[in-house]
Amino acid sequence: MLGALLYLRLTSLKNITLSRLRRLKQPKYFLGAAVGVAYFYFMLFRRFSGGSTSLAGIPSSLSAGLGTTYNFTATLSIFGALVLLAIVLFTWALPKEKPGLPFTEAEVAFLFSAPISRRRLIHFRLAGAQIRILFSAVIFTLISRGWSFLGGGALTHVLGWWLILTTLNLHFTGAALTINRHIDNGANPVIRRWLILAGVALLLLVSTLSILIAAPSFPDGNIGPGDIADWLARCIDSGPLHWLLIPGKLIIAPFLAANSSEFFRTVGPAALILIGHYFWVARQEASFEEASIAYAEKRAARLARVRDGTYRLGQDKAKARREAFSLRVPGRSELAFLWKNLLGTQPYFHARVWLGCALLISIAVPWIVRSEHLKLGANFIITFSAIFSAYTLLLGPQLARQDLRSDLPHADILKTYPLAGWQIILGEILTPIAILTGLLWLNLLAQVLALAPMADTISWLTPGFRFTASLCIGAIIPVLCALQLLIPNAAALLFPAWFQSTRQRSGGIDMIGQRLIFVFGQLLVILLSLFPAILGAALVIFASQWLIGACAAVILGTLVALTILGAEIACGLWWLGERFDKFDLATELRA
Amino acid sequence: MIEVSGLTKRYGTFTAVRDLSFTVQPGEVLGLVGPNGAGKTSTLRSLAGIIPANAGRIHIHGVDLGTDPVSAKRQLAFFPDEPRLFEYLTVRQHLNFVARIYGVTDYAALAQPLLEELEIADKADQLPSELSRGMKQKLAIACGLLHSPRVMFFDEPLTGLDPLGIRRMKDSILSRARAGAAIVLSSHLLHLLEEVCSHVLILKKGEKIAHGTLAEISAQFAHGENNVSLEEIFIRATGGSEN
Repeated sequence: MLGALLYLRLTSLKNITLSRLRRLKQPKYFLGAAVGVAYFYFMLFRRFSGGSTSLAGIPSSLSAGLGTTYNFTATLSIFGALVLLAIVLFTWALPKEKPGLPFTEAEVAFLFSAPISRRRLIHFRLAGAQIRILFSAVIFTLISRGWSFLGGGALTHVLGWWLILTTLNLHFTGAALTINRHIDNGANPVIRRWLILAGVALLLLVSTLSILIAAPSFPDGNIGPGDIADWLARCIDSGPLHWLLIPGKLIIAPFLAANSSEFFRTVGPAALILIGHYFWVARQEASFEEASIAYAEKRAARLARVRDGTYRLGQDKAKARREAFSLRVPGRSELAFLWKNLLGTQPYFHARVWLGCALLISIAVPWIVRSEHLKLGANFIITFSAIFSAYTLLLGPQLARQDLRSDLPHADILKTYPLAGWQIILGEILTPIAILTGLLWLNLLAQVLALAPMADTISWLTPGFRFTASLCIGAIIPVLCALQLLIPNAAALLFPAWFQSTRQRSGGIDMIGQRLIFVFGQLLVILLSLFPAILGAALVIFASQWLIGACAAVILGTLVALTILGAEIACGLWWLGERFDKFDLATELRA
Repeated sequence: MIEVSGLTKRYGTFTAVRDLSFTVQPGEVLGLVGPNGAGKTSTLRSLAGIIPANAGRIHIHGVDLGTDPVSAKRQLAFFPDEPRLFEYLTVRQHLNFVARIYGVTDYAALAQPLLEELEIADKADQLPSELSRGMKQKLAIACGLLHSPRVMFFDEPLTGLDPLGIRRMKDSILSRARAGAAIVLSSHLLHLLEEVCSHVLILKKGEKIAHGTLAEISAQFAHGENNVSLEEIFIRATGGSEN
């Protein structure tokens, strides 16, 4: 019987590999694969080839800043064991009901009704997970090649990762079966969960108290981040946590082994833990079928939502929400799309929440920057909001997708509406524009308020200039967002087959490459689009500031930039609208 | 009224619909039938303005769909085989949204009776995910009917409906036709044609094989025989294969 199950696994693997190789005949996948391979080559192989790797420590350039009495491997062992302990505790504490084993819907349909024992099904599940675990072990090894403090070789690292991941997988399976058995035996799932959470809370309390009582003294003198990490690790590795971390340390030890002899010395205890886990799982008699079917259905529904673009992270089921504003009839049709798409976002994208945030910033930022105790507050706020603004502007359009990209499966219905194509495109992009603009305006407010004390030392940063500049930037922001959002929406319309494939959670190096091409393509187009506006505004400001003053020049330059960007957006909307009118998703995907 | 002349739809070198002409008068229900790949869906999607035709003219209630699509679309409603609903809009919010798109100012007064007629008034605050397949279909119909269209297109209207839902869908189509709407529906279900359609248009490989009332079509392919079933007529008309 196990032969048939192995056949299913291996044949599926062979077929998926062949289909992915076959699709390389299509230029979009070939190009994606080429970019993906290049990316991995430079990220994983070339990146670390030049770095110094000493067995005992980290690169000399880095070790100089870390401190003197530092043993990174020991520290990592403690932190790694802590992470494993946290994972194990969550595994037991998280399930609100009977946890299922991760079977797919097809596996449920074919295997659960087949004459296969539960024990064999569990082994099938464990064997199936091995392919993913081995692949992950290789990828993690490639990534951890750059951790120059590690000793050992590629083989010990692969085996080390395999031991960690396999033990974790066995623990997940064993925990799921145990919880199923307890609930089947009459344990109340809610009480069970609260008991475990209470145990975790008690453990935290006792550990914190023991750390507070017996904490090692904080290192003195010229200390680096390594000394702080080492002190923290010694704090953690005390009291009851010291004993609870031992299994984790034993499992991690082969991966951290400095050489082959140390690996062989440490692999025994780790293997014993793994074998113990295996027998714990293999000897269990618990009914997991019902929970596994529910799991498979939930997983399939989530995948379907990912495919049709309606999946929201951390939200498995849609919820009815309060409307952001009342949609009166009649009125501009484009606003109906804003109203509709806002209903599909998080509830905090609401005018009242934005106004509350603005009020909070208006009170908190001046207090922080004027406070004697928080001298670095202004610098922190300026730096943080500048970084956040840059990320919002660059990555925001990829994350805020409540536009045509979400509604593409509804294209047939949208096209029956009595609206011009450009109206639909404009309406669709209004929601992400509103969200990104709101975020950027809040950042701008924080920046402007944080810059206020600097006016005392910088002569040209007068209140008038600050006010003018912020108004001008505030006016530019929604236009910039609109331009940014036109690009991914254009990509969805121009390359629907490509776009559809990149938004699916399908694997493969070619898919990673395709996503990279999209991101770089967006950056290139936005730079090209911004160039005329920046050039025009700069020329106007440079030429006019001597005549009309800095404030007026900035206003004039902004108007020029807004005109150029507005014209670009209008052209983009018109062109995309024409494209949408001729668009047929079914045909495009068939091509 | 729907007037179609010389409609042609091509996908690359493949011609899905070739030089198709017909008229549907107010109160008529035209059944579009044919084997798989005959061009039914392409025809229906071209008529609803979802995909542009490569050649020919389509007039919806006198308005040319090619030159004034926005005005033409105000007159029509398209009902796909699968109800395409917005996941985060409740039943009531769907109607509010559609009312704004079509500019139906008195939608509140129209929506309530419509929801009651379709028996989903008690689901007004529920999301599509909370509705059964039949309820979703009813919501899609309510959205399509809100702006009182004079022309309606149904693509496989009975897909996924239970017997009661099928009965109500047939009644709904007939009552709209009696109220003066011109209706085109595509279906594989021949009993639907017998019960609902006043006219039938048989397509094969994108071309019109036959067009007329059920009696005319029967006479054309019965070859003088009596009591020839519609199924037999369909098989004779299409040659019994897709090719």
